[in-house]
Amino acid sequence: MRLTVFVMHKTRQSLRAAQRRLQSTTTATAPSYTWADPARRHYKFWNRETDVTGQYSYLIEISPESLQREARILALGSDEADAALHQGPLPLGASLLGVGNTVEELQQNVDKTSPNVLFVSPNCPHAANVLPQVLQAFPSIEWVHCRSAGIDFIESEELVQLYTQRLQSSKPLQITNAKGQFSSSLAEYALMACAYFAKNLPLLLEKQQQRSWHKYNVEELRHKTMGIVGYGDIGRAVAKLATVYGMRVVALRRHPFLSRDDPYCNVVYGRDQESLHQLMRESDYIVCSAPSTVETRGMVSAEAFQHMKPNAVFINLGRGPVIDETALQKALQAGRLKGAALDVFVEEPLSTDSPWWDTPHVLISPHNMDQTATFMHEATEFFLRENLPRFLCGEDLLNPVDPVLGY
Amino acid sequence: MSRTTVDHSLFWNREISSKLSYDANAPIVKEAKIISLSDVNDPSNGPLNNPTNDLPQGSRLLAVGGSIDDFDVELLKREGANTIFVSHPLARDPLDRLLQEIPSIEWIHSRSAGMDFVASPTLTSFQGKVTNAKGLYSSTLAEYTMMACSYFAKDLPRLLKNKGFKNWEKYNVLELRGSTLGIVGYGDIGRAAARLAVAYGMKVIALRRRPVPDDLCSVVYGNDKESLNRLFAECDYILCAAPLTAETNGMIGKEQFDAAKSGAVFINVGRGPIVDEDALVEALKDGRLKGAGLDVFATEPLSKSSPLWELDNVLLSPHNMDQTATFTYESTSFFVEENLPRFVRGLPLLNPVDASAGY
Repeated sequence: MRLTVFVMHKTRQSLRAAQRRLQSTTTATAPSYTWADPARRHYKFWNRETDVTGQYSYLIEISPESLQREARILALGSDEADAALHQGPLPLGASLLGVGNTVEELQQNVDKTSPNVLFVSPNCPHAANVLPQVLQAFPSIEWVHCRSAGIDFIESEELVQLYTQRLQSSKPLQITNAKGQFSSSLAEYALMACAYFAKNLPLLLEKQQQRSWHKYNVEELRHKTMGIVGYGDIGRAVAKLATVYGMRVVALRRHPFLSRDDPYCNVVYGRDQESLHQLMRESDYIVCSAPSTVETRGMVSAEAFQHMKPNAVFINLGRGPVIDETALQKALQAGRLKGAALDVFVEEPLSTDSPWWDTPHVLISPHNMDQTATFMHEATEFFLRENLPRFLCGEDLLNPVDPVLGY
Repeated sequence: MSRTTVDHSLFWNREISSKLSYDANAPIVKEAKIISLSDVNDPSNGPLNNPTNDLPQGSRLLAVGGSIDDFDVELLKREGANTIFVSHPLARDPLDRLLQEIPSIEWIHSRSAGMDFVASPTLTSFQGKVTNAKGLYSSTLAEYTMMACSYFAKDLPRLLKNKGFKNWEKYNVLELRGSTLGIVGYGDIGRAAARLAVAYGMKVIALRRRPVPDDLCSVVYGNDKESLNRLFAECDYILCAAPLTAETNGMIGKEQFDAAKSGAVFINVGRGPIVDEDALVEALKDGRLKGAGLDVFATEPLSKSSPLWELDNVLLSPHNMDQTATFTYESTSFFVEENLPRFVRGLPLLNPVDASAGY
C-alpha cells in the first residue's frame, strides 16, 4: 500500500497531526507502531551521541533489591569476540548455560534449568534455520539478542510466525540488536568515499602510477547535497559528519516525523517512490544505509537511478539487496555517475567473475568498513553492560527490533 | 623573527567572516593605481584584469603583465602606481624590480595564501602593506586532510590492490574516532582541519608560534624542537599546514620521523621545503611512517625520478588539493571587492602579512 508523498519540513507540521495522518493511511500491522511513539523512542535506542568515545553508560544498578529475575543465557554461534560473555564476570543474576551452533549442541550443554535469554552471533551457520528450532526447543526463552545490527541473516517465515504467535500469548518474545554499534566507522567511510570522488582520486591514482604531474580542479563537499536512504543510526551518524562539512542533508525514512527536530537533516522524506525519486534528483552524493527488509528489497531500482543527477556519487553501506545492482552497473557504464562505493553486495563474498571487480570508478570493499578489531567485542559488551542489566531489573530493553518489519 | 605587527582581527575566512563589512559611506581619500603582475590568459584574474563591471570607485588598473618586459616602468613611475596585485607563478623577479624602481608602491596583495613564491630581500624590507589570501583555501584543504587520514585508516592502498587481484579479503579497519591529530602550524587551514577532526571524535594537538589555548585543541605546544618531537610521538596523524619561512624551512626531518608513533600518518598541505624529503622517503620505506598524504613538494613539479611516485603508501597530488574551479577566481574577487574599497578609503586592509616574518 503506497503512502501519499510525505515531505516533512521541521518548522511546520505538528507532531500530533503527523502521527494521526500516518496512522490513518498505513496498513494495520498493529503492535509494531507502539515503539514508534516519538516520546518513548528517544530512550529506546543506543547510539554514540550520548558519549563521543562510545563508553557504555551503565545505567542500571543491579543490587539484590533491584534484581527482578534471573538471566539464564544460551549462546547460539560463538567466536573469540564473545570472550567477555564466556569468561565473565556476568552481572549479578546472570549465568551462561550453554553454547552451540545447533539445537542438539545446545541441548547437550543445558541441564534442567530452562534458559530465558538467547544471544545470537552472526557467525552461527544457517542461523535462519536454526533459530526457530532453538526457540521451539526452548520455549522458556523470552528474549533474543542479536550481536549484529542487521537481522536479515536470522529472518525467516518461521521466525515471523513464532514471533506473531508469541505476541498473543502471555509471554511475548522480545528481540533486540546492536543498532548504533557500528555507525561511527561507517560514517567515516561514507565521508571518505564522498571525498574520494570529489577530489577525483581515480584520476589522481592513475596519474601517480604514470608519474605524471597533472594538475586538475577538485570539488568541495561544502554546499553539496547528500541524500540518505534509510535514516537510522548509521544514516544519522553520516548526516552529523556531512553537516559539519557544510553539506545539505536530505533524509528518507519510514517515519519522517521522528526526525522532525533533527538538527542534522534539512529535509526528511517518507518512504514512497516519489519521495525517493525526489531525493535522487536533489542529491550530489547518495548514501544508502537501509536494512534489507521485505519493503526495502530492490527499493533503489532502475527507475530510481534514472532520476539521479548527472555525476552523482552512490554509496551503499546498508545491504546489497536494497539496490538493483544491475541497474547501478548500467548507470556506471553509461557514464551517468561520477563513481560508486560499495561495501555490501547481493552476493557475498563476490565471486571472481562478478563484473564489479572490473568496473572502473567503483570502490569495492569486502563488507568490512565497520570491521574494527574490537567491533564485535564491543557489541558483546553492549549486551552485557547495557541490555542484560536492564533485563535483570525488569527495565525496558534497548534496541527493540520487529521481525515483521525486518529491522 | 617574531610576528608581532599583524592585527589578528583583520584575518578573513571565506566560510565564517561577513562579506563587504567595511563602511561604504567613509569618504574616498586616495586612488588605487594598480599593477597586475599576473597571467593575462588566466581567467581567474578576470575580476581585476577583465572585469564585467567597473572596478570599485577610486581604483584604476594601470597595467597587466607577467614579466618585467611587459611593463613600461618609467610610465608607471610617472603615474605614481601604488598597488601591486601579484598572482603570476614567476612573479618573484619582476616584483623585486618593480619594488626597487617604483618608490610610490605602498601596497602588495597576493592572490595566494603562500608568500614564499615572491619572497626576496626587497620584499622582506618593504615598508608598505602586504596582504594575501589567507582563509580562502582552508575548507577544501581540511576536507582533503580528513580524506587522507581515512584513506590510511581504512587501508585503501590494500583495498585498491585487492580489487586488482579480485581478492575478497576481509581485514580490520581503524576508526579516526578516538585517535589523535597533530597540527603543525595552526593557522586558518589548521583550524579548519581541527574543526572537522573534532566532529570525528579525534583529539587535536596543535603546534604554533604563540601557544595560545584554542577551544578545538586539547593541547597547544610552542614551536620549539622538543615540542615538535613530542607531537610526533603522541599523534596518529600529523598535519603540516605551516607556511614556508626561514624558521620552518627543513623543520621536519629524520629526528621527527624517528620520534613518530607506530603507525603514524604524515600529511603535508603547507610547503614542501618544510620537510626533508629524503628523510621522508626513508621513513616511508622502512615503516617508521605508515603512510603519507602529500600535496606539496620541495620542487614542483615533482621530478619523475623521485622515489615518492612509486611508494604505495603515499597519496601524491600535484599541489592541486585547493585548486577548485572557483577558488582562485574568488581570491581575485576578494582583492577587488574587499580590500580595494578599504584601501581607497584609508581603512585597515584584511589579511595583513608580516613581510619580515614571511607569512
